[in-house]
Amino acid sequence: MISLLPLQTSEPLIRWNYIGDQWDDIQRKLIDHIELTLISVALGLILSTTLAAIALRYHWTSGPITTISAVIYTIPSVALFGILVPYTGLSKTPAVIALTGYTFLVLVTAIISGFRSVPRAVREAADGMGLSARRRVMSVELPLALPYIMTGIRVATVTTVGLVTVASIIGQGGLGDLILDGLRRTYWTPMIVGAVLSVALALVLDLGLWLLGRAITPWARRARVR
Amino acid sequence: MNVVFPAQAAVPRDIGLWEWFSRGNTWTGEGGILSSAVDTITLCAAVMAVSVVIAVPLAALLAHHRRGEISATWTLNIGRAIPTFAIAGLLVPISLTNGYGFEPWPISIALLMLALPPIFLTTYTAVRHTDPGAIDAARAMGFTERDVLVRVELALAVGLILSGIRVAAVAVVATEPIRAFLGGDGLGRYVRDGLGQNNDTLKIGGAILVAGLAALTGLALGAVERYGLPAGARHLRQVQDTRTGETR
Amino acid sequence: MALDAATAPETPLADERPAIVLRAVTKRFPGMDHLAVDALSLEIPRGSIVALIGPSGCGKTTTLRMINRLIEPTSGSIEIEGEDVTRMPATELRRGIGYVIQQVGLFPHRTVSQNIATVPRTLGWEKARIRARIDELVELVGLDPAMLGRYPDELSGGQQQRVGVARALAADPPVLLMDEPFGAVDPIVRGRLQDELISLQRRVHKTIVIVTHDIDEAIKLADRVALLNVGGIVEQYAPPDEILAAPASEFVEQFVGDDRSSKRLTLARVADLPFSQGPVVDAGATLEEARAAMEAHRTDWVGLVDDGAFLGWVDGRELGPGDAPFDRPRERPAAQVHPESTLREAMEIIMTSSTSVAVIDDGGGFGGVVTLEGIRAALAEGVPERVA
Repeated sequence: MISLLPLQTSEPLIRWNYIGDQWDDIQRKLIDHIELTLISVALGLILSTTLAAIALRYHWTSGPITTISAVIYTIPSVALFGILVPYTGLSKTPAVIALTGYTFLVLVTAIISGFRSVPRAVREAADGMGLSARRRVMSVELPLALPYIMTGIRVATVTTVGLVTVASIIGQGGLGDLILDGLRRTYWTPMIVGAVLSVALALVLDLGLWLLGRAITPWARRARVR
Repeated sequence: MNVVFPAQAAVPRDIGLWEWFSRGNTWTGEGGILSSAVDTITLCAAVMAVSVVIAVPLAALLAHHRRGEISATWTLNIGRAIPTFAIAGLLVPISLTNGYGFEPWPISIALLMLALPPIFLTTYTAVRHTDPGAIDAARAMGFTERDVLVRVELALAVGLILSGIRVAAVAVVATEPIRAFLGGDGLGRYVRDGLGQNNDTLKIGGAILVAGLAALTGLALGAVERYGLPAGARHLRQVQDTRTGETR
Repeated sequence: MALDAATAPETPLADERPAIVLRAVTKRFPGMDHLAVDALSLEIPRGSIVALIGPSGCGKTTTLRMINRLIEPTSGSIEIEGEDVTRMPATELRRGIGYVIQQVGLFPHRTVSQNIATVPRTLGWEKARIRARIDELVELVGLDPAMLGRYPDELSGGQQQRVGVARALAADPPVLLMDEPFGAVDPIVRGRLQDELISLQRRVHKTIVIVTHDIDEAIKLADRVALLNVGGIVEQYAPPDEILAAPASEFVEQFVGDDRSSKRLTLARVADLPFSQGPVVDAGATLEEARAAMEAHRTDWVGLVDDGAFLGWVDGRELGPGDAPFDRPRERPAAQVHPESTLREAMEIIMTSSTSVAVIDDGGGFGGVVTLEGIRAALAEGVPERVA
């Protein structure tokens, strides 16, 4: 036992055999991480779409909706986990709740901006051609709003990946668990592996979603929304 | 080798939230709220100061000369994607291996990476999109390039830059608590202790403290933005607010 | 007072050197294979307004911006008051030249008075001097002093333009460059601003170079018009009336438009014309005298004047025997025109009034009559050059 925080450590940064030995565990954590991210973003997308639809339909609600989303976003993740756990217990639940909540601001704003960016002339032309409201939204406005929405999904996903790592403090952190675990045991390899994989996952998803966004909106290549 | 983190102040498990907050030594005792708050604020302020000093001049210069838009955007996008906790976690062993200890470098660098993108981006965008008529008129009146940058572009961009700084500051303060889980302290320690001791009061109380500071930071800087600007910039903000009517 | 059309526009008056001289000024932009401005030579007389006008791509704005070195010429030289503009640092040069652009470019974060004070402050004037100058300028450009503490976005387009001009003139530069200054406001405001520029110039006598795409504006404002073709080629450089009366080429003719003669009418004032008495009699005249006047001028109408004041027109056909003209119902002279009105305006009135002549009302007094014949004669002889 003993020493309080040492300044120096003799433990090597990486023990390569760890990776081989623990590969299954690493994989497991990676999958957990991706799962949690996808669930939260998907749930967030569904809820945000509803909220955005309300905000677009009833203009007076857009202010409050955006403000509340912003307030949620400002709550530090550590705090949100801290507050939820006493009520939900240590499980996936508080993680999903918090992570989903964090996507609101980005997604709601993105969807609203996206639909607001559709020029009025286009909407009027669609109506003038006899398209029903549903048709118009689905086949005209939605494609035009897509660049904004895709960017929003991209940002939300990447942010969620980062927040999942923090969820390791309540044991739901996927790759983040490796980090904390390694810290406790002063075993650096899992820390580094966990950290590097988290970063890699975030970057891969960022790139992938960016490419996906460009692929499905070929007409928006010039005026890219970043 | 095993490491023992500093003795966590043991708090009775059944203490109520209100009681905990009203106990004197919760605030002033060793590991008390006040000293933790100071600890957090100092770190965040330092990170913000460094990031402003780096990002604002760099972004302003690049934007003024219309250079580096592509590479800057790319770098910042990547910076935005990278999880802060992972970076801090990555840097802890590296820091330890090189004799720099748990703090302050890992968390500081990670927070710096968090703060730079928004400040850089808002500064760059604001300077880049200054009214070209004003710039042309300024040059025609004999302003040097430096004058144009400082007296026109930056002067007009002040409000936006401050809003970028506010966003970054709130993000930094909101993310700083992870430090407590990586061998450090600060206001996040109470949630950490609460989770470790399974003490709901600490969890909730700690959460309130951390969230409270983040909110306070946002409000304080918001007030600076609203009231602390010189007259011209303040007028511009009012105009921008009424014109866009969008939430930032 | 016919214009001597033979006066060569490039010959400066004996004791006045031209304020700005461009010699073979050429500009090629990087990456373009044709020249934006090709060896342009021009002399701009001191104290005059010269308009640079031409189709897109003629290099008029490029040329203007080379004068204050916002664009550097590829070759050739530009002299202001005999001094080569490249001899001093560009920033110093520009502080001595006023510059007004279409979007005005006021600093949105500074009040109107702070905007105007920009160059004087850079030059280090004391506060009192600046304040006095601002008061002067506000009066000069016709700005309401209450606007001084406002911000640009609180002003209308016309007011903003006035502030722009005031700002350009703040340090009292001898030269003023204007790039489509009135393009962004509506036609009514534009007309007013143009009039104000003319009266301002009467007071300050600056050398003004103005770029415009509007031929009517050029004709109205300029003492000399330089009509440029693509590449900065000077098609004609002459006073407006000469360009209208004697276009130097088909290009000029086409650019100016079909209504050249009608445009020329805007250049002259009624006061420039010789007046005739017209069918006008004294108020106390008899029917015979009235009839004689009408017959002499072959009109159905007779005008009544009483002690210098014009009373109105009387329809001769309604005058029966024994009627005194004075008693007959009079048509108030809608057909009247001020000596300062243009011939174009007089023409409009002549066309639309049933009396078919326009009466001149000089501050309430009767000055004479303008007829269609008189106008036509003036056009044929050449419209007199406007007095600066």
